[in-house]
Amino acid sequence: MTVNASETGTEASTHSTGEIALEVDSLVKQFGGLTAVEDLSFEVYNQEILGFIGPNGAGKSTTFNCIFGTYKPTSGAVTFNDEDVTGLAPYRMVRKGMARTFQTFRPLPDRDVVSNVSLSMASNKLFTLSGLFGGTQEEAIEVCRRVGLGDDLYKTPDELPHAGMIRLELARAIATDPELLLVDEPFAGLSDNEIESLSELFQDLREEGMTFIVVDHNMRGLLDLIDRAIVINFGSLIAEGLPSEITQDETVQEAYLGGEEI
Amino acid sequence: MSDQMSLLGHLRRKLTITGLVGTPIRYYVAVLFFIGLAVAPSTGQMDVLNMLTWTASFYFIMWVISWDFVVGYTGQVSFGHTLFFAAGGYTTAILNIDHSVDPAIGIVAGTIVAALAGLLYAIPALRLEGHYLALFTLLPPLILLRLFRMFRDTTGGSRGLPNPEPLIEAGSFSANAEANYYLSLVLLILIFAIAWVITRSDTGKIFTAIRESEDAVESAGLNPAKYKLFAMVFSAMLGGFAGAVFVHTPSGSASPSQLLELAVIIEILIASIVGGFGTITGGVLGGFLVYWGRDWLRNADQTIPVIDVPMADIDILLFYGALLVLLYVLAEGILPWWYRQVDRVLTRVRGEEPSAVADGGQTWLKRQIGSLQTRYDENREENTGRFEDRRKK
Ligand SMILES: Nc1ncnc2c1ncn2[C@@H]1O[C@H](COP(=O)(O)OP(=O)(O)O)[C@@H](O)[C@H]1O
Ligand SMILES: [Mg+2]
Repeated sequence: MTVNASETGTEASTHSTGEIALEVDSLVKQFGGLTAVEDLSFEVYNQEILGFIGPNGAGKSTTFNCIFGTYKPTSGAVTFNDEDVTGLAPYRMVRKGMARTFQTFRPLPDRDVVSNVSLSMASNKLFTLSGLFGGTQEEAIEVCRRVGLGDDLYKTPDELPHAGMIRLELARAIATDPELLLVDEPFAGLSDNEIESLSELFQDLREEGMTFIVVDHNMRGLLDLIDRAIVINFGSLIAEGLPSEITQDETVQEAYLGGEEI
Repeated sequence: MSDQMSLLGHLRRKLTITGLVGTPIRYYVAVLFFIGLAVAPSTGQMDVLNMLTWTASFYFIMWVISWDFVVGYTGQVSFGHTLFFAAGGYTTAILNIDHSVDPAIGIVAGTIVAALAGLLYAIPALRLEGHYLALFTLLPPLILLRLFRMFRDTTGGSRGLPNPEPLIEAGSFSANAEANYYLSLVLLILIFAIAWVITRSDTGKIFTAIRESEDAVESAGLNPAKYKLFAMVFSAMLGGFAGAVFVHTPSGSASPSQLLELAVIIEILIASIVGGFGTITGGVLGGFLVYWGRDWLRNADQTIPVIDVPMADIDILLFYGALLVLLYVLAEGILPWWYRQVDRVLTRVRGEEPSAVADGGQTWLKRQIGSLQTRYDENREENTGRFEDRRKK
């Protein structure tokens, strides 16, 4: 099927090639009696930056976990590059070209930043001499520089500030050389300056061909970054469109009523 | 292919003067140590009895390496490695005694049975963690011990099977002891080298990454289950192989007290932690210290002054007491502690800042406590998040 960006009525972006990178179809995820994601469908186009918005507890991280294979969806399908990848283990998703960051960081506290990142470049053969002789860490160092950790190469994760931890999550993901990057709440707890510099990084990477889904619980940091947004509440899609349309949307405003600002 | 090239290139670089000078001293110490063990019998200082004890200590150290390989690196805690040693040792002993199978073939069979026993831990270890896994692995050796007592005719009960055929034999008793000494030393060096290379390669880095965060490993495109399974099964094979050869030497036999009892695993655990957990090299050092420390106490002819008790009478008490103190003052292990001291001195001499990651800077205990803390924090974070969600709705 060839759904075109313009057919969704939202005119994705000038960057997007119009080809679908990822398609989520009728995704459902239940935890016991609680339905965290309910019949959610959306798609992401190649080289698009999609904003994925919803109040706390709306089911954004759970959706990521279902796409990435961390959780098996209760029902529904995930298609990546025209291939059904529903429920595949995360390491398989990575090999297919998907990567993610975690909202609650997953550093390796026992080693420095470079070694954290070089894990993504480790040989996956059990009997290997790779890494024995100091190894070539240059590629990992290059990725660290790219995300702005050039001055922190030999620090351990616990010596990094909050913003540094986010960059470390990104570095590990980028080091797998992904086509699609799922970024979970990168802007939480960041200053405006930091948000801006991360946004620039995302845009540069997108220019080089990467596709993004960026989660946030409000539009604050996303407005200038994203091409298009989807909004969910209680696990269901409530709006989809350009950033400017989203902020005006009545359902969206209601969802945020009494809570924070969209 | 590229592995071989990098190995050759590396050797070529190492075998120059600058390469040799730049190699850390500890490598030379390790090489000298093994050379010392190789020439020791020919100095005439080592009598036959001594040689047999050294031989036995080599197997003890192989077991320490086998344990450290999986527990020290991947964090899959096992208190039941004796199952593997017994699987290897008893399989070949029973095959030999009851079915006249050649020891060489029996040893292969024993190693395979040990690998299967490894699966018995490896598969539950994919689901269980930490203390639960440790408890789980504590039980199979106890069960096996009971079974051995029930099937006394085959297994020799608590006495064991003292006399399977030797793997190698050489004329006189002393020549025989010497031959077995060298065989065992070669095996020790081999197993040490294999464990050292694997743990220093990317595979070792993935092992330790699994211990730190399986999510991070998966996100890097690596399958944690594959590595956890491999580590446990390979460890079981190393331990089972050592156990199988051991029972065919004059130093060992297939008996519960040498292969299966709780005291065996406790000493291995202590040796590994005292020497330096998750380092392989530390296990070798700790293995020698623990084995010879205990041996020295057992044969000591000194009398303890004030209470007037011969040391040899309360050797076990003294041994465990000493280990208790050592574990308390040097929880991180001797080698990591020593590297840290060297690192500190070197950086002071060079006038640099101390490096951020000193070898083994974090102790095992600290890390255990740390991971509990993170888990607690994460749970709390998630729970408060959920609580707030509910309040909103
Ligand atoms: N592993 C889990 N077990 C049970 N409930 C969960 C689990 N993960 C998430 N939830 C619940 O699912 C809902 C959605 O959570 P989440 O996806 O983390 O929201 P968001 O990322 O949008 O803030 C919440 O009510 C949360 O409590
Ligand atoms: Mg979330």
